[in-house]
Amino acid sequence: MRERKKMVLGVKDLIDYADDPEADDELPTEPMKVNMGPSHPATHGTVRIVLTVEGETVRDADVQVGYLHRCFEKESEYATYTQVFPYTDRLNYVSPMLNNVGYALCVEKALGIVDKVPERAQYIRTIVGEMSRIADHMTCCAAGAMELGAMTIFFWAVKGREWIWELLEEISGARLTHSYVRIGGVSYDLPPSLPERLRALFPKIEAILKDLTDATLENKIFRDRMDGTGVISQADAVSYGWTGPTLRSTGIAYDVRAAHPYLLYDRFDFEIPVGSKGDNFDRYIVRIDEIRQSIRILKQALDQIAPGPVVIDDPRIVLPPKQAVYNTIEGMIGHFKLIVDGIKVPAGEVYSHTEGGNGELGFYLVSDGTGRPYRLRVRPPCFAIVSALGQLIKDAPLADIVPTFDMMNMIGGECDR
Amino acid sequence: MSQKALDRAKQILGAIITSSHAHAGDETVVVETAKIHQVLKTLRDDGEIPFDFLVDLTAVDYLGRPQDQARYEVVYHLRSMKTGCRLRVKALLEDPDDAGTIPVISTVTDLWKGADWFEREVWDLYGIKFEGHKDLRRILMYEEFIGHPLRKDYPKEKRQPLIRRDPNDV
Amino acid sequence: MSEPVKTVALKIDGQAVSVPAGTNVLEAAKTIGVDISYFCYHPGLSSPAVCRQCLVEVKGSPKLVPSCYTPVAENMEVFTTSEKTLVARQQMLEFTLVNHPVDCPICDKAGECNLQRQYQSWDSEPSRIDEDKVHKPKMVDLGPTIVLDSERCILCTRCIRVCDEVAGEHQLEMAWRGDREQLTTAPGHVLDNPYSLNTVDVCPVGALTAKDFRFQMRVWELYTTDGICTGCATGCNVEIQHAQGRVQRLVPRENEAVNKFWMCDDGRLTYHELAKNRLGGARVSGAPKSIELAIAEAASLIKSAGPGLTVILDAQSTNEDNYAIAKLAHKLGATTAYLSRRAPDPSKADKILRDADQNPNSKGARAIAEAVFGSANVKPVDDFDGAGLLVAIVLGGHVSAETAERIGKVKTIFISPFGGVLADAATVVLPQAAWAELNGTYTNRQGLVQRSRAALEPPGVARPAHELAALLAKKLNTTWEYATWKSLLKELKDTVPAFAAAEAGRERPLVQLRFAHSRG
Repeated sequence: MRERKKMVLGVKDLIDYADDPEADDELPTEPMKVNMGPSHPATHGTVRIVLTVEGETVRDADVQVGYLHRCFEKESEYATYTQVFPYTDRLNYVSPMLNNVGYALCVEKALGIVDKVPERAQYIRTIVGEMSRIADHMTCCAAGAMELGAMTIFFWAVKGREWIWELLEEISGARLTHSYVRIGGVSYDLPPSLPERLRALFPKIEAILKDLTDATLENKIFRDRMDGTGVISQADAVSYGWTGPTLRSTGIAYDVRAAHPYLLYDRFDFEIPVGSKGDNFDRYIVRIDEIRQSIRILKQALDQIAPGPVVIDDPRIVLPPKQAVYNTIEGMIGHFKLIVDGIKVPAGEVYSHTEGGNGELGFYLVSDGTGRPYRLRVRPPCFAIVSALGQLIKDAPLADIVPTFDMMNMIGGECDR
Repeated sequence: MSQKALDRAKQILGAIITSSHAHAGDETVVVETAKIHQVLKTLRDDGEIPFDFLVDLTAVDYLGRPQDQARYEVVYHLRSMKTGCRLRVKALLEDPDDAGTIPVISTVTDLWKGADWFEREVWDLYGIKFEGHKDLRRILMYEEFIGHPLRKDYPKEKRQPLIRRDPNDV
Repeated sequence: MSEPVKTVALKIDGQAVSVPAGTNVLEAAKTIGVDISYFCYHPGLSSPAVCRQCLVEVKGSPKLVPSCYTPVAENMEVFTTSEKTLVARQQMLEFTLVNHPVDCPICDKAGECNLQRQYQSWDSEPSRIDEDKVHKPKMVDLGPTIVLDSERCILCTRCIRVCDEVAGEHQLEMAWRGDREQLTTAPGHVLDNPYSLNTVDVCPVGALTAKDFRFQMRVWELYTTDGICTGCATGCNVEIQHAQGRVQRLVPRENEAVNKFWMCDDGRLTYHELAKNRLGGARVSGAPKSIELAIAEAASLIKSAGPGLTVILDAQSTNEDNYAIAKLAHKLGATTAYLSRRAPDPSKADKILRDADQNPNSKGARAIAEAVFGSANVKPVDDFDGAGLLVAIVLGGHVSAETAERIGKVKTIFISPFGGVLADAATVVLPQAAWAELNGTYTNRQGLVQRSRAALEPPGVARPAHELAALLAKKLNTTWEYATWKSLLKELKDTVPAFAAAEAGRERPLVQLRFAHSRG
């Protein structure tokens, strides 16, 4: 008989493996603490999950977020209302226009000028918002597929995302940190060639979606890993505060654009895709369908948009034209006071809600009458979603963490602010 | 938010509401802090307008308000999935001493699972304790952090080098 | 004691208001939070009603009425936001801005300018003219402290009234008329009265700028802390405005009982001393040492002195600093105390604000010394003769040269923010925090105990004298039951009659000026 080495696995010593008749059946499964650290190739966003695993099954999970906390809320108390826009870009940084729009709507609600924003500005906000949403969903689905091994799909999807970002860069000057929206409208008009170039993109994006779905919908590996994993019930989803595609994957058709129409969403015809089982695959397919709906909204918006001003005509909210600023004292003072003091928002509190990339993006603003927010709270959709991660991965295989976490679309900038 | 929600809340809660207002289309009720759990449970389980969705749970620090007014407000935003109505519920918390007594309010994690992380965040950033919360620890700041950064008397520029130490050792 | 004041009832914007008779409509409106724009009116000066910015509509009057000049009348009905009033306000601002230079980027007043604030609140119309503006001299030297930019001047005459009514000297006048009207000095005079810098405070625009502060710092970068001027015994209430770790300027705070709205130029410039000749580290026998070693050395000195210990208190230090040092010395055997102070300057005394006593806390230091040691044992420092004395704890040390020599004959523990002759001769030097760096109270010449707040961090290891006293007490194993300066004040309040009305006040978060509204 060969000499067998002593092996220590867990806390049990295997002294004579060969002599133990049941030894071949099971590996020792003492619970072990494993760190799925903040830096991990399969987690998108910096998140630390301290797992207690027994073999391949997760018994307990402590999800620790906060690695990207940059005190957005504290900083915004020291910035004027317009200075907060760059901070909002960096919330859900994959769909920054949606954050810009959400925040602008909040301040406009506090100012009482929501219906005075010019129509063209509202159309533009819708257009850039939906473009951002498409980019967000494509990133999520692509990254999710990549983590399951489908690297090619990721490259197809980010190719589509690049086209969108090219257009957004032309509109706002930056691919990701747009700061394009202003209180009372948007900062500049769309480039004249944009509508046709955007229209030209739709069939190309549809083609990418088709490739995506062809490669994944009937792919056994993909389906096995996504179907039935990360399942959440409707009641639990509501209890956790889930919104957006993840809530719709459970079958509840709650979309802020339809339930509480803002901007001009009540003029558009669109459907709300819902899933049925609340598993990862439903979240994936709901997002793909939402991209199609966004394209539908974009087509209608591009048809309906008409020339006009892109910002409200109120010198207490909007900077005067530069000609006036440099040459007249009135323009100079107006510019000066708006920059140094900020736009004076009447005292009070408002909560404004829009459909962000991940769900209901809320801004709760407490104003004290000066040009700086007294308190600006962001209700981050993915914070509530990720809070359920611990429950979803419990008693499930280790491998399920990857699709579950990825399909939640946790964006560190939004979850941690 | 709608007037219906406010009326219904007044109807089922009665005198527990200490004040209410509507501003910019939002309805708010301020309730007795000691009864906040009962208030939220009643609102959640109401038959007519069940406020079964906790949208947000946060706090505001009103340092600098006159002495007779509470320093903190814990703010709950509720939505009814059935009717779409929204309501804001506020509870006031004192901070009686200049030097750190910890304000306490009842938890609502037994009513909504999502309140878990929201309450942890309020503890982390404001230092408001939620009584009955099973795991009230910091969520966004690191464990060794001293202080509660969103309070108005925590200066934004203050630097706190991260020194490895026992988190319980304040 | 006072007769009942006759009150007048009137209506402003539909709201009933009741104010004492003689109040003008503008002030009456302020009591209910209604803001009426004005330039030439100032609550501390007479109102000439020249700017016409405060015009309001009064029922029954065919013309608009200047609210800063019109006293309230029974059953008057005032409308401050009627169409006529708003149009008048807007048009008046338009006239004021017609010749105003586009100077905001280079003007010191930007950020605290009344014209900017009124324009933004009441007139947001763009300019209607395209003419060349009237040009006037832009850098006129009015005197040793002030520079005038005539183009910015809106001819409100506040500065003239400050010189006439507050300083009592007629040094400024308006020359010429119409759009050529300019501010100028009175014939044969320059603007050199000791209250000249108040004109910079009251000027609603950046026409008058202080040479001391010109181009130094943008006002919205400043943080403001409430303090007390330490220039003389008047104890004018000030705002210490600081940024980047330095005091940038001092401006007066309103206090009806002490200084109303004003302060003197000497007081404004006291902040310069904070950067000169500061002690940041401790010394033992002239050599720099760590504060722990210095405290240890001082403790052993005190122990060796026994009854030969004395203390020299300081009329420049706060009540708490003085009390802590006095108490410590008394506990350790001292029986006599001396009071040191900056020499009085009778040439500075006037009936307006300035006092001959150039110390902020003469009364407080004396009251404390007498309370701790008994009035028989308190002497002025010039009587210091060193007989039977071995060690002196010297606080502040503002003494004449010969007194310094006599003090030099004993071993001294010198506690002061500033170096000097006594610091060089001392055995142990402990650095003290200066007036802008600590929280404490001063008793002014009226006996009012006023709180000053810390604006800056003290340099190096300097700290308030009461903290040094606590360290010494700990080293000497003496019980010291005063954990904070507030506990020292509390004991003074409870035991010494002069401090019966003292209040420490609540702590406040730091305020940056951009969060406050425009001054003036």
